[in-house]
Amino acid sequence: MHIRVECLTHIYAPGTPAERFALREISLEIEPGERVGILGPTGSGKSTLVQHIAGLLKPTVGQVLLDGVPAHAPTAEARARRRRVGLAFQYPEQQIFETTVFREVAFGPRNLGLNGEEVTRRVRWALETVGLDPEAFGARTPFALSGGEMRRVALASVLALLPRVLILDEPTAGLDPRGREDLLARLDAWQRETGATLVVVSHHLDEVARLVERVVVLQEGRVVADGPARALLGDGNLWRSLGLAPPPEVALLEALQQLGWPIPPECWPREELAREILRQWQKRHSQQGARSTQHAARSR
Amino acid sequence: MLLLPGMYMAADSPIHRLDPRAKMGAALVLMVLPFSVQRPLAYLVLIGVVAAVAWLARAPLKPLLRTLRTVFWLAVIMFVFYFFTTPGRPLLTLGEITVTWEGLIAGGLQVYRLCLVVIVAALLTYTTSPLQMTHGLEALLCPLARLGVPVRELGMVMTIALRFVPTFFDEMETLARAQRARGAEIGSGPPWRRLRSLVPVMVPLFVLAFRRAEDLAVAMEARGFRCSPHRTRLYCLSFTRWDGLAVLLVLGLAILVTR
Ligand SMILES: Nc1ncnc2c1ncn2[C@@H]1O[C@H](COP(=O)(O)OP(=O)(O)OP(=O)(O)O)[C@@H](O)[C@H]1O
Ligand SMILES: [Mg+2]
Repeated sequence: MHIRVECLTHIYAPGTPAERFALREISLEIEPGERVGILGPTGSGKSTLVQHIAGLLKPTVGQVLLDGVPAHAPTAEARARRRRVGLAFQYPEQQIFETTVFREVAFGPRNLGLNGEEVTRRVRWALETVGLDPEAFGARTPFALSGGEMRRVALASVLALLPRVLILDEPTAGLDPRGREDLLARLDAWQRETGATLVVVSHHLDEVARLVERVVVLQEGRVVADGPARALLGDGNLWRSLGLAPPPEVALLEALQQLGWPIPPECWPREELAREILRQWQKRHSQQGARSTQHAARSR
Repeated sequence: MLLLPGMYMAADSPIHRLDPRAKMGAALVLMVLPFSVQRPLAYLVLIGVVAAVAWLARAPLKPLLRTLRTVFWLAVIMFVFYFFTTPGRPLLTLGEITVTWEGLIAGGLQVYRLCLVVIVAALLTYTTSPLQMTHGLEALLCPLARLGVPVRELGMVMTIALRFVPTFFDEMETLARAQRARGAEIGSGPPWRRLRSLVPVMVPLFVLAFRRAEDLAVAMEARGFRCSPHRTRLYCLSFTRWDGLAVLLVLGLAILVTR
């Protein structure tokens, strides 16, 4: 599904003293099958933006078009489009309400009006996709699961809708490193298999770097950067503007650039950067012999 | 954040600075007065006084008047009731039904009283933080503590409850949106289905509320909170000359207009 955000502005509590601009004139387009990361510091409007894409909020100004249809419109056409967009909210485990894991995941497909057999099939598939055994977990009560398991159940309940556009608002927040790796790998595999559009909101730049090709950076409700993930994430200034210290590989890249090494910022992630440094090192070494290394050491 | 009509708005004004006990007492008098005055001039004086208080409190006019919407239907019902049931000089006759001048006046008077009460209440909540309000209430109710009523504990419960009302509404909205994203139709269809459609919102809402209550209890106890009569406060209420003056002014007004 083609997503087009046109000059979108959102104001919370307009006309009151608590009025707050969450989004200011945002425009962007997302092609079918694209993998996009949305980054930005706390309060920059990421969650607000993705809720607009899912047609859950009414734009103050501007609109979001899903295949050319305004996402928030009350028409049947818009509703059909909205149903193809799956959004897992920030901390989705907070929306769990059913008595068993199976029923919880079945809630979405049942709302789509599917028959019992299809619902069962989808629930099993969704639970397997997020790494939970349907036999072992299906009959358990979701409130007695661990936080990580609850997160997986909540994500499964969105996946069971078989969305063409899957939006995840900080899917790995609060998970341990291993759970995070595992979940990201599963989402990656799911996307490759289905060719769906994947939009991931995150604070973790390295996890975004692995999962997406394109990054949109928000700050105070505005898009401040939009481009290929590799080019943007190698940019130390971007990290600093988000209030984060650049990781060591970016710091190294900057240091080398200051020394005059022509390393393009697209050298990302770290394996590629290491390869590039090695290549240039060998080139210099063979050209100028030991002198250049001495020179580099002295200019430190 | 969801803004309810008549919610507290922090500002610095003479009315905001008044002691909550004085303010609540004065508000009570101002709410009773519309029911006890007789002369037309006194009605106008009361409107003038309330308007002056609103001006002193720097209350924004629109949100203030918007609070009247909450009692719109009540006002309509009261007006209609008095309009059609008060005997007197006929104004209009439609078949069996006769409406009277007295009915018109009596109905209007009821609406006037209702509006004034609502505006005074809104001004009170607008200028007094929930915390101050409960302190004031506690202070005014403290004679009951002698009879064994746990006034201070009730005050604490009320403070906490008021603090979390806006949070509760925010969470409810977010949950409704989250379930809509899963294809739920919330609050539509025939009554039975509409009620059932609230389950996916209400269950998580209460789960969150109970979890928060537990966390809060642990956090409070970790900071040494105990229900004891010897608990002291960081901010003590202080009744100043200005508070005395305000009370005297309102009492003077009451004597003047009811005479
Ligand atoms: N329901 C609401 N009512 C009023 N203001 C809100 C509401 N939700 C969000 N805001 C405000 O809008 C701005 C953007 O919020 P949003 O939740 O989109 O940020 P975010 O980028 O997702 O932040 P985080 O990384 O913390 O999740 C914030 O300043 C926030 O205070
Ligand atoms: Mg967010």
